[in-house]
Amino acid sequence: MKHEDDLEDLIDRHLHGELTEAEMERLAELLDSNPSARQNLVEQSLWHTRFAEVLSDDRDMASESDVMASVRQTAPEKQASKIAFPKLLLTAAAVVIVALSAGLFYQKASSERRIAVLADAIRNPAAEAPVAKVTGLSGSLLWTGDRGQIVRDVKVGTELAGGTIEGMAPDSWFELEFNDGSTVMISGNSMLTFADQGQKELRLKEGNFSANVRPQPEGKPMLVHTRSALLKVLGTQFDVEAGLTSTVLNVSEGNVRVKRLSDGSEVDVPAKHRVTADADRELTPIRVPDSVHHWKSQLHLGPEGNYGKWSRAINDSQLASLKAIPLVPQEFPSITLYLAGMTVARADNSPVVIKPDSHFIVRGRLDTPASVYFGVWVSHANGEFAGKFRGDLEERQPVAELDSKGRFETVYRLSDFTLDPCVRDREDELPASPAGLVLNGVWAFTHTGSPSGLEVTEIELLPPE
Amino acid sequence: MEHSETQRDRLLKEAFEYRLELVAYARALLGNYAAAEDAVQEAMLVVVKKLDQFEEGTSMLAWCRAIVRLEVLRAKQRTRRDRTLAQRVLDDAIDAAFEEFQSSQKSDDAETWREALERCLQRIPDNGRRVLKARFVQELRYEQIGEHVGMSLEAVRKSLYRLKKQVRSCVENSLRGAP
Repeated sequence: MKHEDDLEDLIDRHLHGELTEAEMERLAELLDSNPSARQNLVEQSLWHTRFAEVLSDDRDMASESDVMASVRQTAPEKQASKIAFPKLLLTAAAVVIVALSAGLFYQKASSERRIAVLADAIRNPAAEAPVAKVTGLSGSLLWTGDRGQIVRDVKVGTELAGGTIEGMAPDSWFELEFNDGSTVMISGNSMLTFADQGQKELRLKEGNFSANVRPQPEGKPMLVHTRSALLKVLGTQFDVEAGLTSTVLNVSEGNVRVKRLSDGSEVDVPAKHRVTADADRELTPIRVPDSVHHWKSQLHLGPEGNYGKWSRAINDSQLASLKAIPLVPQEFPSITLYLAGMTVARADNSPVVIKPDSHFIVRGRLDTPASVYFGVWVSHANGEFAGKFRGDLEERQPVAELDSKGRFETVYRLSDFTLDPCVRDREDELPASPAGLVLNGVWAFTHTGSPSGLEVTEIELLPPE
Repeated sequence: MEHSETQRDRLLKEAFEYRLELVAYARALLGNYAAAEDAVQEAMLVVVKKLDQFEEGTSMLAWCRAIVRLEVLRAKQRTRRDRTLAQRVLDDAIDAAFEEFQSSQKSDDAETWREALERCLQRIPDNGRRVLKARFVQELRYEQIGEHVGMSLEAVRKSLYRLKKQVRSCVENSLRGAP
């Protein structure tokens, strides 16, 4: 391949996120050493963006019989972005985002008029009626109102108008109660935009979300947008995991209609069923598999779903690991924890239920002996949040001897776990122990005031023998 | 520095007119068009909020790009948690490239470009447009496109290369001929 073709190909595939590590290094070298390569990259980036914008508005093509129909399901992001935002935006007329919306930006109205509308919205931020109240939260949260205002000190009881609420850390979670009593709970690094102007409309950009929805008005189901699907909910319990290209929906009670945005296909998902809307999969509900009671982390599979600095395995003695990274808890801004967290998932998607008398084993490395605190996040079988628990081991810390390479192995028995301090104000309504609940996430951290070098190599849940 | 309302409106207008350039920049860092759009949308909220911090006489595009850069980093943190060394090195090289070569376009020019591009795309046969759409809108990989149109990976790559060249050349000719 000629040099310039090679560069063109590398840039093209880079702009689609397809390069390997080695190819990234090669492209970086080419860019560093060659001004025309840098110019080429900037030009191609602009061209690709123009192509994407013009072709995505090419309505003639959309209505034609399409040989790519079956492939379209693999490319949900663009459509998701186009469909989800304008709908939310329409519910909040003249707000800041409207003027910025990519979907509306190229409509025929003059840019001067749009700017005037925006400027007016900025100058006159009339108070909007609250649509939901925060009924529980922990961790760092950021709320951005539809008019662009930002609130960092969201508290329990804060009433919110439509806007976007963002969990900034893996241990963040919050619960919103809408005016009709429907509740939604979001956890981990996540971002949810919501509005309720007679019809509840939510957009989950990413993260985990569960909901308990009261019966909705006739013809006005709750709409939940993700990047790849639209859920229509009349009244039910369900949870959703939204990623960049896929959406996993678990329905506990009732019925949820799912529309895959890439090809418009729809399916009703009944109780105790799950469906995944993403590339290369049939949009067919499957029965939620039976639960299992054993789980082991699989860090060798990659960094996805983890919080921390992931490193691949080098050899049998240097396993893949997750290094704890700094986290400043919102409730205690003066302290810095070093935390590594993992989402609990199994290849067969069966829920991991913690049996009484189970125990966790945490294996890892430390630079110096330190107390390692371990926590779990659990939910009820219907997806409803059931609490966060911590096995601090208090006076028994540090609990493990480090070997010559700084490795440790610590056992946390279920009886060691108590409610995490961040949810103790809900002690009356949450279970006292994680036993019998579904394990969703685990994390380990140190609180030594400085980096402890904590690296987790494996976490395992073992049921009683 | 506090700007007057007129100044503020003018500056906001200028910032919004760079949207396409900013999406292109974000895309170069994120490798995904939809994610780039989202990052720019988040960045624009910051632009609105922090507009008073913009110093007149400096480059609005560079200022906005710095804000987009932060949003891109946040987006990467949310999705991948951590960047590898190769990604960091490449991101730095991309930054340098945009700083050196990205120039702003007036919005009139952008509209002219868009119209020319729309016209030129209309001249491409349906199958070609489908392949372009599969690549640029649906963000499919070469092999995925190939599987569904019965072409080899190499044939898809060549076809896309040819189609892109054809459209670019058509747009450039069209703009040269424009009054």
